[in-house]
Amino acid sequence: MMAEEKVTTATTTKAAEETAARATDNILTIRNLHTWFFTDLGISRALNGVNLNVPRGKVLGIVGESGCGKSVTSLSILRLVPRPGRIVSGEILLHRRRKAPDGTITEETIDLTKLHPQSPEMRAIRGAEIAMIFQEPMTSLNPCYTIGNQIMEAILLHQEVSKREAWELAGDMLEKVGMPNPRQVLSRYPHELSGGMRQRAMIAMALSCEPSILIADEPTTALDVTTEAQILDLMRDLQAEIGMTIIYITHNLGVIAQMCDEVAVMYLGRVVERAGVEDLFYDPKHPYTKALLDSIPHVGSRTKRRLASIRGVVPDPYATISGCPFHPRCDAYMPGKCDQLVPAPANVAPNHMVRCYLYSDEGEVENGR
Amino acid sequence: MAAETTQDNLLLDVKGLKKYFPIRSGLLRRVTGAVKAVDGVSFFIHDGETLGLVGESGCGKTTTGRTILRLIDPTAGTIRFKDPKLGWVDIDKMSREEMKAVRPNMQIIFQDPFSSLDPRMTVERIISEPLVINKVASGQELKDRVADLLRRVGMRPEYMSRYPHAFSGGQRQRIGIARALALNPKLIVCDEPVSALDVSIQAQVLNLLEDLQEDLKLTYLFIAHDLSVVEHISDRVAVMYVGHIVEMADTEALYYTPKHPYTEALMAAVPKPDPRRRERPIKLPGEVASPANPPSGCYFHPRCRYAKEICSQVMPELEEVEPDHFVACHFARELKLRGVVVG
Repeated sequence: MMAEEKVTTATTTKAAEETAARATDNILTIRNLHTWFFTDLGISRALNGVNLNVPRGKVLGIVGESGCGKSVTSLSILRLVPRPGRIVSGEILLHRRRKAPDGTITEETIDLTKLHPQSPEMRAIRGAEIAMIFQEPMTSLNPCYTIGNQIMEAILLHQEVSKREAWELAGDMLEKVGMPNPRQVLSRYPHELSGGMRQRAMIAMALSCEPSILIADEPTTALDVTTEAQILDLMRDLQAEIGMTIIYITHNLGVIAQMCDEVAVMYLGRVVERAGVEDLFYDPKHPYTKALLDSIPHVGSRTKRRLASIRGVVPDPYATISGCPFHPRCDAYMPGKCDQLVPAPANVAPNHMVRCYLYSDEGEVENGR
Repeated sequence: MAAETTQDNLLLDVKGLKKYFPIRSGLLRRVTGAVKAVDGVSFFIHDGETLGLVGESGCGKTTTGRTILRLIDPTAGTIRFKDPKLGWVDIDKMSREEMKAVRPNMQIIFQDPFSSLDPRMTVERIISEPLVINKVASGQELKDRVADLLRRVGMRPEYMSRYPHAFSGGQRQRIGIARALALNPKLIVCDEPVSALDVSIQAQVLNLLEDLQEDLKLTYLFIAHDLSVVEHISDRVAVMYVGHIVEMADTEALYYTPKHPYTEALMAAVPKPDPRRRERPIKLPGEVASPANPPSGCYFHPRCRYAKEICSQVMPELEEVEPDHFVACHFARELKLRGVVVG
């Protein structure tokens, strides 16, 4: 079955609908992805078997602490993993859907791991089909070019328009993201804008080619709360309007609750739990998810409870931990079980996956060890 | 006089505190203006409590914290501190020499545990430095004190011969806390002590700070921008906006019945970790005012949805609108504002 899907297929509307119904309509499927960094100190296994379905037109949140691999996941999707890192094994399947002028929808599946990072195909996907917003708007905008020039560059790369039209489009995009005085901002430099305005400019640039997937990597972490709230509000509105898929990466569970439809919790290079946002917050299964939720102060809870903390620290990425990577910090640790094999993903409910021996006895043998 | 002190059991009493940083320009570097980082701030802290100080970046909360310790000299205002030995002292009028007698009782924990520890000093030297400078202990006694301090913050004394790079962010923050505790201070200014830490580690450090407060009867000025953390740890909270305190009250009163429109907007903006409580934020038009060139009247009026004519003309004073609830707004008594919805 996996071999079948790897083959690029073009199908008619009817068949596409059937496949869509069968595959619960995912726009992106990540299978057993391993991205490792081969450093002088040893191999850092940043991603160690990530499985993830990204549903079309939804907001998927990826949450985890520093070093869990959430940013490397997004860089792997865009094939921007910096040296000495590389994708060792696994698949990233983009289920591309195109509407022909006569109304027929064609669907094809591309394995992004098979493309060369600098190939024309990958360049065409990057920015046009999958766009990204970074955490620090000051370092991801070029200080030497005006905002208008930078947005225009993205448009000219992917669309067949004249410079004048591109400039107009850039202005329209800035207007769409709620930038005050959008036409004037076009000829400003990044340093002349505040943090919130820079992030709006970044969003405008990312959306300028109407990507089908937007990856937002901690886009509001550097912003103040009132600005953050407004950027989140803007992203929600744009998502509803354009209907694009958003992969939202953050460590802030509050933002996840406010923004996302579905959530994947990552720990040490693996997705340990994945569920709808309500299930995750009201019925978490994995001990790590539970501990994370108990360790944050809830505003408006009124009761002064003591915060539950997770003992120990996130192990360094060079360490190899046998069995479930969370077992040294877990309160439900079962010796002789949790420290043997990595627990296999198990469905505890429809659309609720967890990797933990509390819910399934099945372990999986790791490859590449 | 704003925020008239009628309180007893005070440890710190700050009145009309100002700190202006000069802006120089031109060939002769003449002073052409001033960044009014802190512009007439008055507040007090009771002995043994935690006062949270919140506000967005650039509002002057860090400058306020550092000015109180005289790490920065104030431009104007009075800072009175009740030293356990010397009694009430005027921090703002003391010389460098005189400050040395008071400093052991006022310490600070910094935000960034990576840049606030000297990478070339062992943990032992870092923690013992204040004890050596103040000639509190030496030799084996000094070593024992350092070991005690490390145990106190939940670390193994064996670690004292290591260098800071060998520790994670949370452990470094514990070392910073041990250093601050070395001289048995009364007041600790905590300047964003958990912002740089992961959530699970944040909880460990917050719990440690709470335990230490209970055991050692510490008083905290807790500076942070994370409103959930501040609600959790503070007894009272002061909200700053462009160099001014706009509201100060008991944590519950401030969070659930705010009386300043800016506080209301802040509370609505906190992303609540509950998917069933999705809220639309209150739209604040424009940007935070510049402390170098603030608007007339109330600094918040260009962004305030309740603003009337008087707001652009007269700067409102911080007044006690209800017992222990101080607000700087012309309409604090009339407005019915929305706080955090209790979940």
